[in-house]
Amino acid sequence: MGAMARRRKAAAAGKRGPPATLLSPASSEDEAPEEVSFGVAREAAETERKLVGEAARRHRELLKEKRRRRQELFAEQKRQKLLPEAVLQELAAAPPGRDDEQAAAMNTGELCEGGAAKQSKGKAQRLVKKDVQRKGARSKGNYMAVRLKDQTLENLHQQLARDFLSTHLYGPGTNRVGANEFFSLENKKNPVRKAAVQFVDKSWGQEKKLKAARFKQRWLATQIKKQV
Amino acid sequence: MGEFEVHRVRFFGLVPAGVRCLAWQPRSARLALARTDGTVEIYNFAANYFQEKVIPGHDARSVEALCWAGADRLFGAGLGGAVTEYDLARLGTSCSVDGGGGPIWSMAANGSGTRLVIGCEDGSIKLFQVVPGGIQFERNLDRRKGRILCLSWHPSDSHIAAGSIDILRVLDVCSGQTVQRIMVNYHVQKVQRECVVWSVVFLASSTIVTSDSFGRVQFWDWQQGTLVESHTVSTSSALSLAVSEKEDSIIVGTSTGATYQLQLLPVRVGSLEKRWVRTKPFQHHTHDVRAVVHSGTALISGGLDAQLVIRSLMEKVQKKGYEAALRKFTFPHRRLVSCARKARLLLFQFTQHLELWRLGSTDKTGKDGEVLPLRSMPEHLVQLKSKGPEHIYCSCVSPCGSWIAYSTASRFHLYRLQYEGDSISIAKVPKVPKLLLPAYQLQFAADSGSLFVASAQGAVHILQLLEPGGCKHLHTLRPPSETPEAIYLLAVSADGHWVAAVGGDWAIHVYSLKCFKHHCTVPTYSCAVTALAIHPVTNNLVIAYADQQLFEFSIPEQQYTAWSRMVQNCGLHRLWLERDTHITHITFNPKNPSHILLHDVYMFCVLDKSLPLPDNSALLLNQSTLKQLPETARQRQLHAFKICKKFQPLLFADLLDENCLVVVERPVMDIKTQLPLPVQQKKFGT
Repeated sequence: MGAMARRRKAAAAGKRGPPATLLSPASSEDEAPEEVSFGVAREAAETERKLVGEAARRHRELLKEKRRRRQELFAEQKRQKLLPEAVLQELAAAPPGRDDEQAAAMNTGELCEGGAAKQSKGKAQRLVKKDVQRKGARSKGNYMAVRLKDQTLENLHQQLARDFLSTHLYGPGTNRVGANEFFSLENKKNPVRKAAVQFVDKSWGQEKKLKAARFKQRWLATQIKKQV
Repeated sequence: MGEFEVHRVRFFGLVPAGVRCLAWQPRSARLALARTDGTVEIYNFAANYFQEKVIPGHDARSVEALCWAGADRLFGAGLGGAVTEYDLARLGTSCSVDGGGGPIWSMAANGSGTRLVIGCEDGSIKLFQVVPGGIQFERNLDRRKGRILCLSWHPSDSHIAAGSIDILRVLDVCSGQTVQRIMVNYHVQKVQRECVVWSVVFLASSTIVTSDSFGRVQFWDWQQGTLVESHTVSTSSALSLAVSEKEDSIIVGTSTGATYQLQLLPVRVGSLEKRWVRTKPFQHHTHDVRAVVHSGTALISGGLDAQLVIRSLMEKVQKKGYEAALRKFTFPHRRLVSCARKARLLLFQFTQHLELWRLGSTDKTGKDGEVLPLRSMPEHLVQLKSKGPEHIYCSCVSPCGSWIAYSTASRFHLYRLQYEGDSISIAKVPKVPKLLLPAYQLQFAADSGSLFVASAQGAVHILQLLEPGGCKHLHTLRPPSETPEAIYLLAVSADGHWVAAVGGDWAIHVYSLKCFKHHCTVPTYSCAVTALAIHPVTNNLVIAYADQQLFEFSIPEQQYTAWSRMVQNCGLHRLWLERDTHITHITFNPKNPSHILLHDVYMFCVLDKSLPLPDNSALLLNQSTLKQLPETARQRQLHAFKICKKFQPLLFADLLDENCLVVVERPVMDIKTQLPLPVQQKKFGT
């Protein structure tokens, strides 16, 4: 009878997954099945279910605890990064919006010293803000390190001017086409028909290579998953 | 014609930069042209539209506006924020003044050429005085927000019109105040995009003409601030505008590459009331036309497809003929390729780098017209990048292929190449002598023992090349009378006894290299020299002029040869004189001293001095008919000019040995595919 119960348990466990493979099913093969009363069997099943439930709950709690601890850690880190408490309170007490104005005023002051124009105020502000963040010494993903020496105001203005030109001449809505399309009619109507003017588009190769690399990654990932 | 084995080279990847702005000087009939890479070129219309001066660009010196002030002072301004005066004798910049308002978009000189006005990125309009030796800041005019994209003076110099984004302003020069402010989109309902006023012209009557990014040409009454007329010429931007001196004709350049002429015509025959009417459309360009000029007799347009197009107005020319023909210029009127004959190398000059190629070879022979299979492919040996922002003025490879020299505005470089089997090593020659820079033309002697450097003030320096990889300054040749103009062409004789040099004043000086002395001056012919070369056997100097005349001058005898006099007496064939590109290179066949080989962009010619000259009734291009004739008839039909038009457009042709020729072609379509994107044009039925 005990053996039978064990067998049943094993079967139940088998349904649940991996631990079943560890048990060897061989020992009871030559024995005849034992008789088990219905009540005993039910009892066994119930305890089993309870055990499983308990385990799941404990796991959930463990996860929750872990999450909470991480949250605390983040909060702690954030506090470390922020200004001292007193300053924070003072800032909170001040009316909102004043802070930005101050910063802007400061920035334009700086710009005027450099003999600059109001025109590029917006862009210049952005630059200065970036600088402030860089001073924080913690550079996160989207920022790029640049030498301030190269980023003179003249270069910035020139870049703005070039951007203006390119958006107005080549930007969206200007209806530009590639050379292939532009000359396709001429090629088609020519007495001697020709191939496309630009046979090899170099961007194609790059695109294909990127695609292949991506496909390879994905394929590898699926293979690894399958093995596990 | 003689048979040649031809190396047909198509791997010179030259892409000329687009035309950004034009400035017309009616007094001297010269056109200044600036390209998007900052190069400034001067075309002399009197000398058959020859590109007589080229000032190479600079990365930090883009040019957005050009203007002539006074008779012969040329100013440029660009996004670098400085106003630059160009030195047309020394082909460089003579002075540069910072505008102080950020990138400069526009500049205009007043009618008398005493004042310049610039429009800046920050919306300021600044007035400068043109003083001897430079310009001087005078005052700021009323500044408002928005970049000033175009400017125009009233012919009486009292007012200035300034175009900005969505707004057109009129400023009083005396008070400096804005006297009228016109919103160009005020009357349009529901405008989605901002309207950029790309170009403005102030007419003597109280009318201002603008062209804008909506493709409109609008006429405003500036005193009332009202719109008088509006013509929508294009669906894309109308980028440039120019008016004739009489103010009865306007040319507009658009983004689609089309240019339109608008004319002030009476409403009815005999009526006094006149209106502007769009009369003629022209589609000479495939890309944006960013600059137009209205000269007295022609419409001139320059596009981002690197073409300069000159179209004569038929009603303005006296007689219909060759002078009134349409002219298109895509390629520079000078050589960018040099050839090492013995080593079979080609050196290509780009704006900021050089490429050295080894020609392919074949061991097969074939019949006329056959394409031979290659045994070894052409090989790209070296790419030399010039450091710094300056563009290259000139370059040269020695006949033996072991020296390369090039010059930028402030530096001169000499390299020594060594070939060991398949490998190649390149070493910079240290301590090149400090010369007067830049060099405008470089030429190695035939034995590769010395280098001739064309310099400013008519001077030619001779450098002696030393093995292994060294050089020293040998001598400087100077013309007998002082000239400010730079030398732009050199020719060295094969025996190393003579050198001929042409300066910007078109005087040809011949120097003797045996005693380093001025030998003689070729009698002045008042036209620009486009090519010259010294015959290896007879030491005759062959000169090609911009008006397509050919002269032969005997250096030892110091006079024109009998053949040259005969050519001048008989005159050249009409079709020869009516070619519209210039001869850029002359070479000779050492095995056949009576042959002169010349080429321009559309033809290659073997000139046989032993044959009679064709008269105007004869067929000039007779090679294909000659082939079909029997031998006896052929002898009667032969004439001196044997022209081949198979290779087009031809940038360079040279003879490697007596029956081997190299030609460098650059198909226009290859250039067009590498230009910035054109605007799509809907074609009916596609």
